[in-house]
Amino acid sequence: MSDFITSVKDNNSIVIIETNGYLNNVGGEAVSAVVYEKMTQGHKKFLINMAATKIVNSIGVSILIEIIEKLQEVDGKIGYYNLAPIVAKTFTIMGLTKYSSVFESEEAAVNGL
Amino acid sequence: MASELHINDLQLKYLELETLLDITNELNSFDQIPVLLHEILVKSCAVLNASSGLIFIEDDNSDVLHIGAEFNIDISILKGFILNKQKGFLSEINESRQARSYEIEQNSFLSKTLCKYALIAPLLEKKNLVGIVVLFDKESRKGISPFHEADANMLSAIASQASVAYNNIKLLENIKEAKTFNDNVMQSIATGVFTTNLMGEINHINSAATTIINLEKNHVLGNHYEYIFESNETITQLITKCQLKSVTLSESQVLIECNGKLTTVNISVSPLMNDSNEPIGSVIAMEDLSNIVKLKSTFKKYVSKQIVDQLLENDDMLNLGGQELEATILFSDIRGFTSMSETMSPKEVVETLNEYFDLMIEIIFKYNGTLDKIIGDALMVIYGAPNATEQDTENAVLTAIEMQEKLIQFNQDRIINLKQPIKIGIGINRGKVISGNIGSKQQMNFTVIGDSVNLASRLCSVAESDEIIVSDAVWKMVKHVKSYKSKKLNPVHVKGKVKPIEIKGILYNRPDFQYELAYKKIEHFLLENLPKNYPYHSIEHIRDVVKQTERIAKKEKVEKSVFQDIKLAAWLHDVGYIWEPARHEVRGAEYATSILTEMKFPKSKISLITGMIMATKIPQSPKNHLEQILCDADLDYLGRDDYALNSNNLLQELELTKKLKAKDWLQIQEKFLRAHSYFTPTSQKLRNKIKQQTLLNIQQQLKNI
Repeated sequence: MSDFITSVKDNNSIVIIETNGYLNNVGGEAVSAVVYEKMTQGHKKFLINMAATKIVNSIGVSILIEIIEKLQEVDGKIGYYNLAPIVAKTFTIMGLTKYSSVFESEEAAVNGL
Repeated sequence: MASELHINDLQLKYLELETLLDITNELNSFDQIPVLLHEILVKSCAVLNASSGLIFIEDDNSDVLHIGAEFNIDISILKGFILNKQKGFLSEINESRQARSYEIEQNSFLSKTLCKYALIAPLLEKKNLVGIVVLFDKESRKGISPFHEADANMLSAIASQASVAYNNIKLLENIKEAKTFNDNVMQSIATGVFTTNLMGEINHINSAATTIINLEKNHVLGNHYEYIFESNETITQLITKCQLKSVTLSESQVLIECNGKLTTVNISVSPLMNDSNEPIGSVIAMEDLSNIVKLKSTFKKYVSKQIVDQLLENDDMLNLGGQELEATILFSDIRGFTSMSETMSPKEVVETLNEYFDLMIEIIFKYNGTLDKIIGDALMVIYGAPNATEQDTENAVLTAIEMQEKLIQFNQDRIINLKQPIKIGIGINRGKVISGNIGSKQQMNFTVIGDSVNLASRLCSVAESDEIIVSDAVWKMVKHVKSYKSKKLNPVHVKGKVKPIEIKGILYNRPDFQYELAYKKIEHFLLENLPKNYPYHSIEHIRDVVKQTERIAKKEKVEKSVFQDIKLAAWLHDVGYIWEPARHEVRGAEYATSILTEMKFPKSKISLITGMIMATKIPQSPKNHLEQILCDADLDYLGRDDYALNSNNLLQELELTKKLKAKDWLQIQEKFLRAHSYFTPTSQKLRNKIKQQTLLNIQQQLKNI
């Protein structure tokens, strides 16, 4: 596990990934590595807790889009919660929120995904 | 579907613009440089897809830059490296002041970061480089790449905004620092300072000012000066005038009262101007003079106000070291005070001495004498030390004369109150003395010593009561003054001198008897001592007799030379009631003889006054015109409308010893009125008619019984 991923856990067949730091190329690759591995195990639903990620760049967003594309192929879903305002804004501008969901909390995310 | 999911250039531009807008909006909300730099760096990295970044910022006192913010990079690798803005890539940035993209060269400073590419933008203050923003390795899905020209433009835009915000924070910090500095300076100075704005509201005050005006800072700030200084018109007027005319004004030794505290201050009020020389308020400085006032007050117990002021203004005058100089020394002491004090209570002794010294010391200071010491009932005064003038000896003689003259008036009160008068003898000498601070380490006093001082003391011992004796040296210095008269006295032998000393007695005129003062003192004496249980022979009766005496005497055209004497007799005519009501005329005459003799009244006048007092004894027996006037004044009420009131008071007084029946009292009155006749034409003309009517009324009442 990279420094960017601080925890990966299952919750009612949803994989919850906690991140820490800059969601850039490195961070995005770390997330995609976890997601793709879990997909091979049959997981289709993923949530990312971004409480400790205060900044994101477009490369990080691109990687998330790539993940979304992969998940769409297997009817999977990905969502995010605990987003910093600037991160939420970037996700909106980059069009990420059209194809994935943003939640206020883990509970809302687990129930809403 | 896949195409929809791609991030297009439009979205990236939108993100760049939004980021720039965010930075612009947020920058002014930062008030700490580290926070500002971190936010700029993080957002720059994010929007330009940099993998990491650093901001270097200049040290205040050198050309060296230090790391102000880092993002996603381990800065320990840069530890120990110095980045000088005059060297290497920084000198290029410093010259061009443009953002530039670099491929990091091996062995360069930035190669320690292990990054390949850098985008560097300057942070500027006006045209000076104050820092740089460095972004490393532009990210892409294919790996890292160099930054583009568009990236450089974007970072330039961000850096420009950041520079403005950085400079604003620096400016704010400088202002705060300057304010703290000013505050510290203001708080540390002893002068009280406060400022007002154009509205007159106090917007700054230092701790010295809060102490002076005895108010907490919080109670002062924001309040109008008129409110804070409502009881101190001088201050409010100065500030108002300063604000109206934009001139500096000052006032010395102003006694201000703030919150119950009195303080003497020197005040200066100046207009407060901005850079454009426009008034923005006033600055008021107050110098607390309390300590100086205390010092003066203490000093003035020993020397005159004039000398204190001269000494405070001119340090050179004050020579407290031992030195030989010419000085005039005056000694005085009370004759027979020891035996006098044996008849007095300790409280009376202290009160008497304090009253006496108060009077004498006032005279000493009037003539710039320095009170050297009080020894029991004696005074030692120096003229010519610590500062000398040409008038020193004359001042000493004037002091002595006025001391004797004032003592006569002082004694008038004591004599009227049957207290023994105070008599003093005074001796004055002039000669060489040693002056300086003499004493032990524990107690040291400024004084003068020497033969001349001893001689002055001996002359004082030789002087009789009321006498002023001066040495030949003194007389030689004052004899040119025509108003001084002397009498030759036999040379005296004093201890320590082989040859007899030539001396002179200074003559002075006994001041005229102060009649008005005497009236007041006698009235006070009567008020204090007349029996309170006599309704008729009270202070009101005496005041009435004095008033009628004045009136009748004027009408009877009494000569001016005796007018005051007849009034004096009026005040004294019933004073004997204090000791022996039945023989009050005799006791009153005795009292008058005693006090007037003591006051050196001519015997003829004393006889005149005692004659008038005795003439009031019933049946009245005046032997001259003055006695007739006083007799008529004494029974003036017999022919007045207030007869009933007075006769009723008399009845009550008589009944203190014997109860009278109504008829008896009517008979007494009828007999008295029938026998009485006014002596002076003035009273006959004015009072006979009513007196006759009163008699008829009483006779009618007797018939009706």
